[in-house]
Amino acid sequence: MLRFFQQVGRDTLTTIRGIGEASIMLVQALIGKPQPIKMFPLLIRQLYVVGVQSMLIILISGLFIGMVLALQGYTILVDFGAEQALGPMVALSLLRELGPVVTALLFAGRAGSALTAEIGLMRATEQLSSLEMMAVDPLRRVVAPRFWAGFISMPLLAFMFSAVGIYGGYFVGVQWLGVDDGAFWSVMQASVDWQHDVMNGFIKSLVFAVVVTWIALYKGYTAMPTSPGISAATTQTVVYSSLAVLGLDFVLTALMFG
Amino acid sequence: MVFFAHGSNHRVESVTYANYADESKRTAVENLVEVKDVHFSRGETSIYKGVSLVVPQGKVTAVMGPSGCGKTTLLRLIGGQLKPQQGSVEFAGINIPSLHRGALYEVRKRMSMLFQSGALFSDMTVFDNVAFPIREHTNLPENIIATIVKMKLEAVGLRGAGSLFPNELSGGMARRAALARSIALDPELIMYDEPFAGQDPISMGMLVKLIKELNHTLGLTSIVVSHDIHEVMSIADHVAIMANKQVVAQGSPEELRASDNPLVQQFLKGDPDGPVPFHYAATPYHEDLLGSSR
Amino acid sequence: MEARKIEMLVGVFVTAAIAAIVFLAMQVANNSDATRGETYTLYAKFDNIGGLKVRSPVKVGGVVVGRVTRITLDREYFEPLVEMRISTDFRGFPDTSSVSILTSGLLGEQYVGLEPGFIDEDVFTLEDGDYIYTTNSAIVLENLIGQFLFSQGNE
Repeated sequence: MLRFFQQVGRDTLTTIRGIGEASIMLVQALIGKPQPIKMFPLLIRQLYVVGVQSMLIILISGLFIGMVLALQGYTILVDFGAEQALGPMVALSLLRELGPVVTALLFAGRAGSALTAEIGLMRATEQLSSLEMMAVDPLRRVVAPRFWAGFISMPLLAFMFSAVGIYGGYFVGVQWLGVDDGAFWSVMQASVDWQHDVMNGFIKSLVFAVVVTWIALYKGYTAMPTSPGISAATTQTVVYSSLAVLGLDFVLTALMFG
Repeated sequence: MVFFAHGSNHRVESVTYANYADESKRTAVENLVEVKDVHFSRGETSIYKGVSLVVPQGKVTAVMGPSGCGKTTLLRLIGGQLKPQQGSVEFAGINIPSLHRGALYEVRKRMSMLFQSGALFSDMTVFDNVAFPIREHTNLPENIIATIVKMKLEAVGLRGAGSLFPNELSGGMARRAALARSIALDPELIMYDEPFAGQDPISMGMLVKLIKELNHTLGLTSIVVSHDIHEVMSIADHVAIMANKQVVAQGSPEELRASDNPLVQQFLKGDPDGPVPFHYAATPYHEDLLGSSR
Repeated sequence: MEARKIEMLVGVFVTAAIAAIVFLAMQVANNSDATRGETYTLYAKFDNIGGLKVRSPVKVGGVVVGRVTRITLDREYFEPLVEMRISTDFRGFPDTSSVSILTSGLLGEQYVGLEPGFIDEDVFTLEDGDYIYTTNSAIVLENLIGQFLFSQGNE
């Protein structure tokens, strides 16, 4: 029994210490005087690695999820004779939930794990130490551009996901299942609000961007510099970010739409 | 003259300083690095208990010792990546552990370190790797940077390999490329972490020659951490031997060879047993076998 | 060469994202919300608001002129009090206007229907903070069925 409490106490302390360390890391990486001339090429490069390289998987997933939503929604709505509501159903589920959440999950698996592995390997091959000894702060040189790249890419990817998904829904609903073209768009427009739906989804994806990128960078930066250490860190990135995204999604949904 | 650091560190230290002060009054700081009575531990494990040593300016100082005695830790202490629990680490008269972040980064521009793995940036070519510290710390135009980089690469014999990526280099070439990078900004101090580990005889010979030549031609101060006795003794002007969490002896190679300290002799000759025991500390063998103490 | 390719691809990425945002803005979302920009507030008390919700539209003859912003219960008479924000583009409804809670279609959402009243010389226009006194409550299906059954039983 005592051992149980000891274990709980130790886990709690470890968690709190981890959060503290991660916060210090992020603050040290992001504060200080900005050096736009040096940072910009690095940021572009990371946008390529983090954003462009995740684009294909996001677009394809978005298209299929939109198509599935339309197909599933139609079979239910048609029973009530309310197939005009297919447009808002597809658009709202994508914009409010699936766009930000699925993008964040795919992003964690595609870009987050890659970030962790890359930084972990830089740690293992002493590249980070080497930077420090060259009087270059690895937090600002390595961590900061990757963080901003994640922060910028994720909302953009989420927008693309939703847009492509809605098009997929349109394709299945209108072209295939025969929902009226005009009704599909006009009913959608009538019930989707820019501020309430699109912007709240955008805020969600910004929050997820911070959390996923932050976890990925922290796990990479503090990975044990060994092969099992890096593989464990990569797994933890995916697991922790997914849990964090789903948990935060509930909280944010409750705050925004509850 | 050999200095033994058993027991009373402070006495030995004062003798050491007196000695170097007499020997070379040419420069203002005759010892570029002075490590005084440093205690360092990682968690529960104590690594140093009162380590003191000096690195004379303009010379090659070798730090030797059995593996696991914390030689690399010494370099990280000098570079300010680790902080000792007690004692001071002075570089050119500046106490490294007391520096805050900004000042530490300023001081680091005057030193450089060659890591065991080379630590080249894997996403850049050799040329860009060498150019990296110059681009980072100066605003020189690109054509001047190119000239400097070519000179540095020529010095290590890799001018033809500028466009290769680190994963296309052999181990010895990678280390030479890393060496070119670490002399890119003409540092005052260069620290070599196990430069000979895992090298074939030819590249080992090249590195030995390079370290010696660079030290003389660029007038810099070198610290070589290694346990390849022959190579190190051939280039070092000053040698410190570490064991048992302390510096047990320092002096010139000849002085050390003439030393009657059993530990120094064991290390230089490579005897399997001696003051550094072959056996890890354990209960008496027969007791253990007979099972009387479990 | 390599750097230029990367810059180009990042450019494609950002352009695609902007295209997606424009598509969402133009085609998917309604941005011409009547509650954006200048608004004024009107109040109305109902006996029963049925399924009316915050953000339900306020329509005049089918045209959205505003939205429900708050639904509370009057402390004195325990009546639902509905606060509506109407765009200042649609000013000058007479105070003889009436509001009803209507349903769009059989299963559709509920909205507030505003019926402008007659205009006379001694009729004022509704200004910010005014109450609309003529209200028709939502039709609750259960009550309707109950009444129907009751009238059936009486025959």
